[in-house]
Amino acid sequence: MSEMWINMGPQHPMTHGLWNLRVRLDGELIKDVDPEVGYLHRGIEKISEDRHYNEVITLMDRCCYVAGFAWEHLYTIAAERALHITPPERAEYLRVLSDEFQRIASHLMWYAAFVQDIGLMSPFLYGMRDRDLILDLYQSYTGARMTYEYFRVGGVRSDLPPGFTDQARKVLDWLTPRFNEYDQLCLGSDIFHKRCDNLGVLKANDCVAHGVTGPMIRSAGLKRDLRKDRPYSVYRQLDFDVALADSADVTGRYLVRMEEMRQSVRILRQVVDWLDHHPGPVIAEELPRWLGAPYAPVGKEGYLLKRHYPKGVGFSAVEEPHGEAQAYVVNEGGEHPYRVKFRSPVFANISAARQYMVGYRVADIPPIMGSVDVCVGEVDR
Amino acid sequence: MSTVTLYSVSYDIASLILHILGFIIPPANAALTNGNVVTGLAVLVFGVILLAASMLNTILLIWWERKLLGRIMDRRGAMHVGYAGLLQNFADGFKLFRKTTVQPREADALGFFSGPTAYLVTSFLLFGILPISSGWNSGILPLSLLLALAIFSFAPLFIFVSAWSSNNKYSLMGGMRSAAQMIAYEVPLLLAVVAVVIVAGSFDLTTIVYEQQNYWFWGPLFVALIVFVAGMLAEMERIPFDLPEAEAELVEGWNTEYGGMLFAFFMLADYLRALVGSILVVLLFLGGWTMPSWVPGALTTFPLAGIFWFMAKTYIVFGVFVWVRASLPRVRTDQLLRVGWNRLLPLSLLAVFLAATLVTVKCVWPFGCLPSMGT
Repeated sequence: MSEMWINMGPQHPMTHGLWNLRVRLDGELIKDVDPEVGYLHRGIEKISEDRHYNEVITLMDRCCYVAGFAWEHLYTIAAERALHITPPERAEYLRVLSDEFQRIASHLMWYAAFVQDIGLMSPFLYGMRDRDLILDLYQSYTGARMTYEYFRVGGVRSDLPPGFTDQARKVLDWLTPRFNEYDQLCLGSDIFHKRCDNLGVLKANDCVAHGVTGPMIRSAGLKRDLRKDRPYSVYRQLDFDVALADSADVTGRYLVRMEEMRQSVRILRQVVDWLDHHPGPVIAEELPRWLGAPYAPVGKEGYLLKRHYPKGVGFSAVEEPHGEAQAYVVNEGGEHPYRVKFRSPVFANISAARQYMVGYRVADIPPIMGSVDVCVGEVDR
Repeated sequence: MSTVTLYSVSYDIASLILHILGFIIPPANAALTNGNVVTGLAVLVFGVILLAASMLNTILLIWWERKLLGRIMDRRGAMHVGYAGLLQNFADGFKLFRKTTVQPREADALGFFSGPTAYLVTSFLLFGILPISSGWNSGILPLSLLLALAIFSFAPLFIFVSAWSSNNKYSLMGGMRSAAQMIAYEVPLLLAVVAVVIVAGSFDLTTIVYEQQNYWFWGPLFVALIVFVAGMLAEMERIPFDLPEAEAELVEGWNTEYGGMLFAFFMLADYLRALVGSILVVLLFLGGWTMPSWVPGALTTFPLAGIFWFMAKTYIVFGVFVWVRASLPRVRTDQLLRVGWNRLLPLSLLAVFLAATLVTVKCVWPFGCLPSMGT
């Protein structure tokens, strides 16, 4: 068979979203790859310029549909810095609670999709089943399972419902032994090692050269985690380790994500205990009225307030489940942000596809792309 | 009539139909009740019964797989159509039947339509050969095992034809994988069968079953069983060897372009072959419809006990295939071929050697002795 290009995507089970991986094949051997994105572009950055600060949070949920909270957090930090607002401490803890549950939920979603890519059927449902418990928790305090709109510039929308922390502990107790089960199903299988060891190798210096972050860079042995290196929110007060592996391959990424879930459980136990003993306000009190109530008619007083609010810019970087996300918000004094810019970690991760795909076989594409954990919503924005 | 056989049942049905017809149309009575006419119709009825039974069993098998997979995956499987979802597959079948058959513009019509049809027909053909119970077969075929395996190995040709003619790169790759895989696994599979044939001394499936009266072959021929099951998994294209239709990278591989009834043909034929694979395991290694002598007589002498035990064993064997499917990842083409040629082939040669030893020494300790070798 002569060499041929095939389009894996935009509708293809491997893509987990809507993008196109063009592959040049010699028989089953990959000669070249060419990732093509843009099928899910919704112009979120431009739309944000026409929204109130709090309305942008709605768009953030749509940015990455499996890790909405991480993106809400990213944006709210940047917006708060641009608007010179400090959220109360309880709100910060609630954000970390949401973030870390989101990390587990996102990694479970990844686990489910990844095992499906290498042909394992049952763990797919185990992953989805356990993710559902977390979505139930989200529903109990945000009212939504995927698009939460829970964070606010200056805090969060509401406090936890009564009995939430006990429920959260129950979920954590259920999840802890599950991770070992997942490991048995994958690492315990010789076929898994045959498929995933030494596959999709991307060494640490290549990761740095291509801006690859998140579990991919940690699987290459580079200890880089924004929660430790550039602590935001209350991560400084929390005790956890950075998950590391040194094989730089698909198995390494698997190990890193599994360990991250365990560490997230560890963080969550501390957060839940803290929340039990520290009641308080969940949103900043000196908020301007137009920010506190974006849908209320803007009266003369509110108009004046927003005119006189000081200008500023805000930058934030957050360790999202997929990698390092960054946001830049420019406040020119209006009720809308003047400019919003995001950096998506997955965009960089799949841009480097040629580095970790060429030379493997066509059957290796789904496990490699699965181990990258693509979320097209944030790639295209 | 002492024993009920499939042929006697068909003969009774045929003669009943013809006598009723003769009663309705008196002038034709003599011609219709002629012995040759009755025999001819009996053969037809025989075929229809086989066709219906194999269809029904295949659909039941799909149900069994869905339920078993569901339970393993911590869910319930089909629940809503019929009792515990028993009729779900009929509903699915009707849905596929109603769908338009879409033919890709550049596809080669002859191959595109004849591929799935031939695949299904050859799969049905297998049921005419396999004995279900004593007397429940199409006749004494001295080489029935060889014939069954020959028909079984037609499949890669038809898969490749349909893959190539659908003019799709994914299909073509799936077809090539399928051909490579089936050819690689045919050899160890046949050698494992040779081990059984050496011990049983016959190619006739009925004889092979009766040769297992002292002990079933799975114990002394365990190596052959392992090779046979692995080869069967590859022939049936089930996980971990389902890479010709790997949905993750090849979008269902060689049947990407098929929809509606043609897809149903493939689906049906796949499960027919899975059923035949399980039946062959039961016939060759698990004593067919016979039960060991320590089983109480009441459990083995009720009417159609042979068929009951045979089907029970078949479904259990298929259950093991489902279990494997639920818990293993898929291997890669090169790994699959390496396993086939480097591991299974030597193992199957070992199995043949062990079988030859067994025939020479006649008696093996925990199992007992072979029955005196046939004529």
